[in-house]
Amino acid sequence: MKKLYISAFVLSALFFTGCSNDFLDTEQTEAISTTDLDLFNNDAGAQGFVTAIYSKFNDWDMSSFSWIGLTSIASDDADKGSSPGDTGSDKDLLDALTYNASSGSVEEVFTANYQGINRCNQALYYLPQLDKADANLRTRLTGEAKFLRAFMYFTLVKTYGGVPIVDHLPNPSSEADRVMQLTRKSPTEVYAFIVADLTDAIAALPTKGTYAASEKGRASQGAAYALLSKVYLYQKEWKKALDNANLVVGYSLVTDYASQYKLSGENDAESIFEIQGTGSTPAKGIQGYSATQGARGAGGWGWGFNTPSMSLVNAYENGDVRKNATIIFAGTTLYDGRVVPTTVENPRYNYKAYSSAYTDAWESDANIKYLRYAEVLLIKAEAMNELGQTTTAIPILNDVRKRAGLLSTTAVSQADVRTAIWKERRVEMAFEHDRFFDLVRTGQAKTAFTTDGKNFTVGKNEVFPLPQKFLSEANGLSTQNPGY
Amino acid sequence: MRNYILSFIALILLPAYMSGQVIKGKVLDKNGVGMPGAIVVSSTANTDTDFDGNFNINAKVGETLKVTMLGFEAVSVAATVAPMTIKMQDSQDTALKEVVVIGYGTRKKSDNTSATTSIKAEDISRTKVLNASQAIQGKAAGVQVIASDLPGSTPTVVIRGLGTALGGRSPLYVVDGMPVDNINNINTNDITSYDILKDASALAIYGNRAANGVILITTKKGSGDKITVEFDSYAGFRNALKNVKMAGSNKYSYYSNQALGNTTFSQDQPTNTDWYKAITRTGSYTQNNASLSGASEHIKYFFSLGYYDEKGILDGLDYSRLTFRNNNDFKISKKINLSQNFSVGFSHSTPKPLSAFTNAYKQSPIVPVYFPSGQYGVSFVGANGFASTTGSAFNNVGNPVAQLNFFDEQQKSITMQGGLKLDAELFKGLKFTSQFNTEYYTWKNYNYEDTQNIWLAADPTRVATTYSATANINVLTKENEDYFNWNLSNYLVYNKLIGAHDIELMAGVEQSSKGAREHIKISRKNVNANENYWSLSGVDYAANILSLTDVVSNQARLSSYFGRFQYKLMDKYLITGTIRRDGSSQFAKDYRWGTFPSVGLGWIISKENFLADVKGIDLLKLRGGWGKLGNQNVPLNNQSFASGLDGYLGGSILYPGVTVNSQVDPSLSWEITEEKTVGLDFELLDRRLKGSVDLYHKNTNNLILYTKPYLTAGVGSTSPAHVGAVSNKGYELSLRWDDKINDHLSYWIGGNFSSNKNELTSLSNPNLPDLTGGSLGNGQWTKMLNNTSIGQPLGSFFLYDYAGYDTSGQMQYFKADGSIVSQGLLGIEDRKYVGSILPKSTYGITLGVNYKNFDFSVDGYGTNGSKVYNGKKAQRFSGENIEDVLATDFFTTNNTTAANPAPFNQVPVASTYYLESGDFFRINNITLGYKLPIKKAFISSARIYCNAINPFITQKFTGFTPELNGDGNPYGSQGIELDAYPVLRSFVLGANLKF
Repeated sequence: MKKLYISAFVLSALFFTGCSNDFLDTEQTEAISTTDLDLFNNDAGAQGFVTAIYSKFNDWDMSSFSWIGLTSIASDDADKGSSPGDTGSDKDLLDALTYNASSGSVEEVFTANYQGINRCNQALYYLPQLDKADANLRTRLTGEAKFLRAFMYFTLVKTYGGVPIVDHLPNPSSEADRVMQLTRKSPTEVYAFIVADLTDAIAALPTKGTYAASEKGRASQGAAYALLSKVYLYQKEWKKALDNANLVVGYSLVTDYASQYKLSGENDAESIFEIQGTGSTPAKGIQGYSATQGARGAGGWGWGFNTPSMSLVNAYENGDVRKNATIIFAGTTLYDGRVVPTTVENPRYNYKAYSSAYTDAWESDANIKYLRYAEVLLIKAEAMNELGQTTTAIPILNDVRKRAGLLSTTAVSQADVRTAIWKERRVEMAFEHDRFFDLVRTGQAKTAFTTDGKNFTVGKNEVFPLPQKFLSEANGLSTQNPGY
Repeated sequence: MRNYILSFIALILLPAYMSGQVIKGKVLDKNGVGMPGAIVVSSTANTDTDFDGNFNINAKVGETLKVTMLGFEAVSVAATVAPMTIKMQDSQDTALKEVVVIGYGTRKKSDNTSATTSIKAEDISRTKVLNASQAIQGKAAGVQVIASDLPGSTPTVVIRGLGTALGGRSPLYVVDGMPVDNINNINTNDITSYDILKDASALAIYGNRAANGVILITTKKGSGDKITVEFDSYAGFRNALKNVKMAGSNKYSYYSNQALGNTTFSQDQPTNTDWYKAITRTGSYTQNNASLSGASEHIKYFFSLGYYDEKGILDGLDYSRLTFRNNNDFKISKKINLSQNFSVGFSHSTPKPLSAFTNAYKQSPIVPVYFPSGQYGVSFVGANGFASTTGSAFNNVGNPVAQLNFFDEQQKSITMQGGLKLDAELFKGLKFTSQFNTEYYTWKNYNYEDTQNIWLAADPTRVATTYSATANINVLTKENEDYFNWNLSNYLVYNKLIGAHDIELMAGVEQSSKGAREHIKISRKNVNANENYWSLSGVDYAANILSLTDVVSNQARLSSYFGRFQYKLMDKYLITGTIRRDGSSQFAKDYRWGTFPSVGLGWIISKENFLADVKGIDLLKLRGGWGKLGNQNVPLNNQSFASGLDGYLGGSILYPGVTVNSQVDPSLSWEITEEKTVGLDFELLDRRLKGSVDLYHKNTNNLILYTKPYLTAGVGSTSPAHVGAVSNKGYELSLRWDDKINDHLSYWIGGNFSSNKNELTSLSNPNLPDLTGGSLGNGQWTKMLNNTSIGQPLGSFFLYDYAGYDTSGQMQYFKADGSIVSQGLLGIEDRKYVGSILPKSTYGITLGVNYKNFDFSVDGYGTNGSKVYNGKKAQRFSGENIEDVLATDFFTTNNTTAANPAPFNQVPVASTYYLESGDFFRINNITLGYKLPIKKAFISSARIYCNAINPFITQKFTGFTPELNGDGNPYGSQGIELDAYPVLRSFVLGANLKF
């Protein structure tokens, strides 16, 4: 009998182990496991995946020092600024167009955009699985993620030329995914990918007006049309650029140009898409955006980088209100009463990065305006002019000039109107991270940089080099841009 | 079966058999219990005793009968007509019955096919240290122990070389069947055997926890038929084994003036502080043990109580440990045995920062410990060139005495372990064992930082009224941790002897669970200055909380099947096969199960006919094996959601953001080590000379390192992946001579030598982030693991190559192209691999003499081929003190051939200038004991002893100690002397009484 008991005990012990696969399914407690997606399977959870993408735009590496370096300091609108001895790690090289593949800024912008793209891909991977979230909401969020992914690929293709298209979450063990991550696509392929994403976004996104007041920063259908129009502009597809620009409706020019760069002008009637900085606690500002560009030295509040160049100062016509809205001149008083003494190190600073309430804060309330209605008008005018509709283009250009306190343009011929529009773009959108790419796009780069006293090498400086680190990883799958 | 064979033999011998008569008798053991299975031989016949010890044999009366039994002394007696009673005594020759502990069982030593080392209780308790693993240093070939004398620290044990870079490095400890991580809670006096499983054929039965070796610890049980009470007490004094002579205040002043090119410091200093002396004291430690044990027919019992108390040599650093143990065995019936063990260890310590040693090394001797005003001395120099309460600071080193006094921390822990084990004989030859063990651990800590007073002490001119109103007055940090682990194993063992075939089969299942470990930490500001009032009733501290973290670590579970087959043919040929299948909860579903097989072969050559007659060879055994082992204690890659990526979207509402910021290789799993091994055991010259030789080759082919995702993956964090291979090749020799000259005099002498070549053999993924380590706390690092490390041992130093000083006395270095430059012109490509912290060989010696009532023994240990970095010296001058040898011979324009370069104020790059040989040989222990000739009925033995622990060392290293365990990590502070507790020399006096 006893033997029987013991045998039963032995058997039950073996049986207990038989169920051991369940026994091994322990729950993760240190961090939220990706297997617990249920926690996010609701409206708020679904939104979280997309909010994370927007939050990437507040990161230092995405929108701040390096990005300022590539888009502004490297252009003819700005000089490095700051103290002569403070290189800002490589901003002196960017200013002189002598950067190389190992320059930190070149790598940081590349890496940051792919991090943002990863967040888009995460969102696009998880959103279809969140079946308990509202279906319309998920459609909209998918549209937002695609808009933002297109936005970042547009940044990459403008900055580096063709880049790898990572359109889904790579599996680290997959050879196909390895090749996908390391192989450059042609600019045409990248543009096609951007157009596809934006087309999907347009279908999924609502207009800006339908968003609640606290969500005006989200991507809207208007933003997708505007970006698509700009993407076509870069490809010189004038008709498509014009058609899409015409679909950007519900926006208008604000009367006071300067108001747009104050807290009160955030997400105003002219704003189509901007990056949101908030200084109040908890602060979620664009890290270091105001501080790096703030006046340096006695009476200043920042590092003093990215100072407006003489070439830009000279570009403004007399009476252009945009000059004093764009440039802080040492020895003047700002709109909030702050006096910028002449003891600051540089004669001029970027007004558009200024935050009145959080002046020297690392995360201030300054926003970055990426798409404004004024630009849409200028795209429209340029596309019309290129399509031979010069006479209809001129009034549109004049709308923008009028708001700036200027008289109508004197240009009449297609060539003169073209030049006038290009010039208008410069003064209208100075320090809005557009100038360098606009110079390359319009073929003015060589001349403009010569005027600015810098040597632009045609066939090389149109794009920045791919980061050396990426090329080492690619190990032959991708080649460097010419000249680097 | 044996009966049949014997009957058969008897039939053949029938004619002779007929001429005698039947002699009857009974064979008894020393307690008078009948012994079954004893062999009785007459001139014409042989038989064996039945279950009760009875035998019948044909023999002539008066003829000599020989009675033999394994493990007992053979007896020869004359046959009598009357029934005989033959009593047998335990064999003196322990070799016959010596068993070794193997995983889930024991094996007769002579039948073991694997490489194991057994260390006996007396060898462990001889060296008076806290942790048994420190005591075995130098006593087992192939086992490297890197110990530290820091009270309460855990030694690093490396068995047959290091096979992992990021994974767990320590062996698996199995204490009475319970797998544990640490044995600091085990009283060394409670250990009866310490068995080290070294090769794969012994280890594979522990599957995916076995790659770093397994140490099986068995604690004591009661024995004998009366109660034994034992007391053991000792007390000792401890001091640093080696000191470094620092410059005195006048030499310091001279050096500093030369360095600064001025006359800031007076050459006639009134103060000459020996900071090392100021922060240390003579350490002391005592241990008192009492145990009570005994056995009766149905129960064996053992109780012990031990108290260890140490005052460290660093002022205020104390450690104490109280242990209690109770082990009982209950014989429920003839065939069922239940054993129970329980132990609890309480430890209490007041840690002090070891950086005080570095600060004492650096602080200038002109600074007094206290100013005459009673304030702490600070490194301010006055106009007179003396240390002053005002003036300018000449270095950034704090007052080490103040540092120790302000450091207020206390830790308490309780470790409880207990379990039950049931052994039942189900059928003849089939035994069932079920064992359940648990462990509970709880730990508490507080740290009190007297922030305002620390601020005041840093500058005598400061007054409390200028202290920032918003700064913390003080900060109290409290921590709590606990976990519960359990382990259940069930196995069956079947033994069968069929003629010349001796078979044992074992099969079992095991489940274990570790954790979840919970750690809570709360930091609070501005608590009451009186520690009694830190935790008041009715007060809500929410407003003063600086941080609160509460982490419940992932639980780890393991489920396993295992089996072993042992076969012996004709007592000569041995085969062992084991297999274990482990499932671990730490890995992804499809990758969590692994199988770990092994095979071992043995041939007892000495039992072959051609050696049977060779005198002097008592045992010659050749053995070899192969096996696969795992290390599941590797970095995990559970993918998780990263939250906190919040953002405003145009209004004042903060929306939460979440993403996944890691890339996971789902195929990540344990590291696998494969080992091939061959060994020879021998016992010669009447077993006086024993030894073994072992050769092994271990390969870890899927070493885990962190890899970087590609830039375009957009993932910030690195993730672990199987990318490397490490090989360990080595040999081990051990030899020991024991001899008994007469009843009064016996002696032994022995030694072992182990050599191991460790090498990173390959890396498959080029996208590795540089794993740099060995930080010197000043921005410099000394160790590297990346793609350039192939062919190097793990833990390799990666340094600039010092090239002497130039004509102005500035240190110079070789660039990769051979040119000589100063440090500003160096790049990472100029670094070189210049040796590892891992020694190429280690060796131990032991000798002892017993003469009458005296016993004397010496143990020594040494290492060869390792490098150590003099991290405390590798700092910029910057107004800090220097060593005496430097202060007396450094470059000046008048001394251009000095041994040392000119003073420099920049942080020196990590270079070979500070790399030194880690070779040393040290006498670890000398014991002299005397057994008092007391012949009182109630005292069975009394022994007094004295020990000298670490009395002598020879070393090349110019620092305190070349044995630098640091954080135990070969890519951490191991092998770097910085904030290191020195090795101690101890003198101990003790007594042992048995009743």
